[in-house]
Amino acid sequence: MNRKATLFFLIGSIVMAALIPLAVIADRRYERTDIPRIAIIPDMDKMPYLKPERSSDLFADHRGMRPHIPGTMAREDFIFDNMAEQRAHPNNWKKDHVVLSNGKQFQRVMYGQVLTNGQASFINHIPIPVTRRLIARGEEQFDIFCAPCHGYNGQGNGTVNIYDSELRAEGESREAGTWVQPSNLTLIGVQALPDGGIYDVVTNGIAAMAAYKDQIPVVDRWAIVSYVRVLGLSQKKVPAYRLPATVRTELTNRK
Amino acid sequence: MSDRPFFVFPRWSDTATKIILAAAVLIPVYLVILLGYGANARTLNVNYQPIQPVAYSHAFHAGKLGINCQYCHTDVKRAAFAALPPTQTCINCHAAIAPHSAALAWIRKSYKTGMPVPWKKVNDLPDYVYFNHAAHVNAGISCLICHGHVNEMTQVYQAKPLNMAWCLQCHRDPAPFLRPRNEVTNLNWTPANKTRLAKDLGLTTATLPKNLGKYLEKRYHIPNSKLLTDCELCHH
Repeated sequence: MNRKATLFFLIGSIVMAALIPLAVIADRRYERTDIPRIAIIPDMDKMPYLKPERSSDLFADHRGMRPHIPGTMAREDFIFDNMAEQRAHPNNWKKDHVVLSNGKQFQRVMYGQVLTNGQASFINHIPIPVTRRLIARGEEQFDIFCAPCHGYNGQGNGTVNIYDSELRAEGESREAGTWVQPSNLTLIGVQALPDGGIYDVVTNGIAAMAAYKDQIPVVDRWAIVSYVRVLGLSQKKVPAYRLPATVRTELTNRK
Repeated sequence: MSDRPFFVFPRWSDTATKIILAAAVLIPVYLVILLGYGANARTLNVNYQPIQPVAYSHAFHAGKLGINCQYCHTDVKRAAFAALPPTQTCINCHAAIAPHSAALAWIRKSYKTGMPVPWKKVNDLPDYVYFNHAAHVNAGISCLICHGHVNEMTQVYQAKPLNMAWCLQCHRDPAPFLRPRNEVTNLNWTPANKTRLAKDLGLTTATLPKNLGKYLEKRYHIPNSKLLTDCELCHH
């Protein structure tokens, strides 16, 4: 009898012990952990070649990706700009090369400015064809890069601004910092600027706004300019007689 | 004396035989379960959540503030690699908002010295896989499919196993995973919103395709599964 109990105890312990690895695995499966992945067969998972943003011992500062040398441009930057342009005008693939090879047009597209008698001035009109596609692209890019601060309607009350006002209302002025409300893009102050001027603001920033030239390619910036015009026009108060007849009847019928 | 057998199995050998037989069956079964459960990609890869130098919360920035993924990961639709933002991108807002916050110490240091913040990579593939973000995102594969609900993660963790068998599920039949191209960064997208879907596709609610996946597969020229499962496609 005593021997039988010992046997049960022994087998029971073995079964219980066998459950421990399963419990460890279950924990590992459902709990977040900062222990790096375990590679059971790690062959060639990590190779000495340089992946983007991987550090490298070749350089003293261990930066695998090298910073820009002043006055130069990465080949990819050029290709990206070209690609965006190509997307904006799928039928004008040849024209893109003209845009970039013609010196004066290149200046207009890249800087939104022209030189007359040695005096630089902003160009009045977007120097690339404004198509429905370009405006749609502009809307998409505006919603990504401008809307967080200026809001989806451009009135200067995006989610970031709302959050900052909340901080201020809660008395967290140190956290709220030196934030100023972004300008209302639909008002005359912005809308009176020439197209080249708006492009310049997007490119180089103004007052508290940062420069976006590293985040947004050239043609997308022009697309944004076109969409800023859309926001201005669509939210402008116009006299009723200037509306199309169909819209007027619809409005008069609405009670 | 002489009629006694040469050897008699002791009494306990009956029990021992039973135990040995049971063990011979149960131990292999146990090992198979242990290996299958323990060595599979879900156990080994998922839920890796490294402690980052800056406690950046995607749940706050991408979730509450609703900032689009592409505001920071700008090149995702153009390049193979969805680049981490340079410190300048943080400074765009944090020059003014919470400029002295202790949580941003690394950001200020990086901005001052030009040295990158030592972020830890969460979703990493083996070096012999050449994953291309642009190819996937432009084909209507959402960030969500591989990264999970990042807009709900306070600290980013790996949400999907990212092993080859997992990749192949989609490469064998991509249709169910597709969505309109301009909704890839909208992690709360649902095909149930017919009006929005129609606007995305440039159609009307009446002309919406019955099988969205098959329709998008054709519209975005997704190659057939034979090409999509070619070894060379990812291991070139």
